[in-house]
Amino acid sequence: MDAAISLRGVVKAFDDFRAVDGITLDIPQGEIFGLLGPNGAGKSTTIRMIMDIIRPDTGTISVLGKPSTENVRHHVGYLPEERGLYKKMKVLDVLSFQGSLTGATPAAARVEAKGWLEKLEIADWADKKVEELSKGMQQKIQFAAAVLGNPPILILDEPFSGMDPVNQNLFKDRILELNRKGTTIVFSTHQMETAERLCKEIALINKGQLVLSGPLAKVKEGFGRNSVLLEYEGDGAFLSALPGVARIDGYGSYSEIRLETGADPQAILRAVAGRLKVTKFEIVAPTLHNIFIEKVGATNVGVLERVGDA
Amino acid sequence: MHNVLMILRREYLERVTKKSFWIGTAVFPLLMVVLTTLPMMLVGLGGNDQKTIALVDATDKLYDPLVKELSDKKLKDGTPRYAIEKVPLAGTLESTEQSLEPRARNGKLFGILTVAKDIDAKDAFTFYGKTVGDIRSTEEIQSALRRAAIELRFANANIAADKGVVDKLLAPVDMETREISKEGGSTKKNFLTAYFGTFAFVMVLFMTLLLYGIAMMRGILEEKTSRVMEVLLGSVSPQELMTGKILGIGLVGLTQVGIYAVTAGVLRVYMGAKMSGTDMGGILSTFTLTKLAFFLIFFLLGYFMYVALFACVGAVCNSEQEAQNYQAPITWCLMLPMIATIFFVGQPDSTISVVVSLIPIFTPMVMFMRICVQMPPAWQIALSIVLTTAFTWLVFRGAAKIFRIGILMYGKRPTIPEIMRWARS
Repeated sequence: MDAAISLRGVVKAFDDFRAVDGITLDIPQGEIFGLLGPNGAGKSTTIRMIMDIIRPDTGTISVLGKPSTENVRHHVGYLPEERGLYKKMKVLDVLSFQGSLTGATPAAARVEAKGWLEKLEIADWADKKVEELSKGMQQKIQFAAAVLGNPPILILDEPFSGMDPVNQNLFKDRILELNRKGTTIVFSTHQMETAERLCKEIALINKGQLVLSGPLAKVKEGFGRNSVLLEYEGDGAFLSALPGVARIDGYGSYSEIRLETGADPQAILRAVAGRLKVTKFEIVAPTLHNIFIEKVGATNVGVLERVGDA
Repeated sequence: MHNVLMILRREYLERVTKKSFWIGTAVFPLLMVVLTTLPMMLVGLGGNDQKTIALVDATDKLYDPLVKELSDKKLKDGTPRYAIEKVPLAGTLESTEQSLEPRARNGKLFGILTVAKDIDAKDAFTFYGKTVGDIRSTEEIQSALRRAAIELRFANANIAADKGVVDKLLAPVDMETREISKEGGSTKKNFLTAYFGTFAFVMVLFMTLLLYGIAMMRGILEEKTSRVMEVLLGSVSPQELMTGKILGIGLVGLTQVGIYAVTAGVLRVYMGAKMSGTDMGGILSTFTLTKLAFFLIFFLLGYFMYVALFACVGAVCNSEQEAQNYQAPITWCLMLPMIATIFFVGQPDSTISVVVSLIPIFTPMVMFMRICVQMPPAWQIALSIVLTTAFTWLVFRGAAKIFRIGILMYGKRPTIPEIMRWARS
């Protein structure tokens, strides 16, 4: 089996609202896969269906080649978006309990839990009650709970939300380390910059439908090298009115300019040369951020683009 | 199976290692003893002041006998509890009484006792008091008065009767009730010991079923609101989670019941002999092994049935306030037999008792009451166990489905028809 997880025509409706509306998707093994989309796009519902916490109305899901309804949970570590730990229990007890649910004996789970507390630099807190910890600490515990038992697939729903940069880095390093050892990582986020740096393959979901999927490099290629990165000093307000500019993502002294098809980047360069002090001019593929805005902002959602082939 | 064990283990250890479990276990029987004996003790406590009673006696013959009858009622320091003040009749009984009322009002007099000339007339004796609620005192006065009046009646009828004869004539006629048992012979048993012996057991059954049902519901609600549920369901299936929780909490319940059973057994062995003959001894003697065995059977049957129902409530609600509404009918099913204990104990083999004891939702409480009072035919016990087991199995199947759907529902609360649809799906 090639895919770690594959979804075929999965639909889930809550009353009249179709949270997931016919998604077909393959998540390859050993990759870091980004499940992207705006808030309410259906990411968490999709993940819950993969975990068999809720079941699809129609369609099938398989995990490592087995239907998800056949208790595949122990193959998958899961960090839900809404964190939840027993508040009154001690940190080490909580982790030992979670670890024991992966099939380990309580004693073995305890040893493994201790190891992860050390890796995440929170070993000193092992005997504290969960409710005494800060949010960021609890997040670490929750992460440890997901990776206990060394599952071949790890699903992380918004793993970096609410974390300071130091801890984000710590998390990122752990995730990369697990991936190097062969763990398939699926992570869902709406932070495009993190996704752009980490993911080799992505799927973009909007309003319950798949908008775009494929290896990140090919996705970007599909949009062509028709964007200009411009760093400058001066008033760049006129940029959006230039001929050939489709859309502009401006930050004052930094702009990403998306060109209309067939427009010449050199014409832009010539147009700005006299009016701004240009410190950087680069012709690039659009950032994931801009692809996201373009696709999600577009009205005709539902037109599936499959770019390249995994 | 491993996961079920792990869930069970956590539930059990988390609950049993809590101080509140042990305090609750110890306090509950104490509370029961205090609640039943305290009112009696308070009534018997009585004041420690001598009470003065004005006697307005139209016959003029009752003062001496009344003083004699009350003479054995003493305060702690040995002075008589009651002082009788003889007030001569001035005008009518009523006017004399009215002239004394100011003294009663300011507390100098505990009460005024008037005796009409004809003691056989209706309303011949009247007691006026500021606090007629002092049952103990009014009762002591009344019984003394009764003896005194009866002596007077004998005298009026020209029958020579001293106190000894009167006592003999007034000796109560008690009827001992003995229950004819199946094994032959009979055991001394009366309604009160039957009632309290049964009631103690039924109370423990009721409290544990309710307590652990609610503990289950709370546990699930807590896991829902703290979002632990989703993390757990990432590791175990809803069925495993439900089974583990039910068994774990059930084991806690059994631990508690076990503590009570051992305590009752020890009490019976060490205190039974000392207290035999007393009512307490009678109640203790009702704790037999057969009864304990049936208690265990009906506790388990009731536990699984009710805890599964409470689990459903926990699964479909988002907060305890919401759960109140759904919980009420289940709690009532437990409470109704409790309230009607006096009926089932009094008429254990009436048609109503037999029918009600065969309805699964009532079986654990009512069939157990019947067994306590009078062993029902074996086929009825067997049938009730079969019916309850079948019903519990259905509840379980439904609960597992409701659990699966309801457990992650936040926000909108489902209606009863929706819940029924889930259960059947």
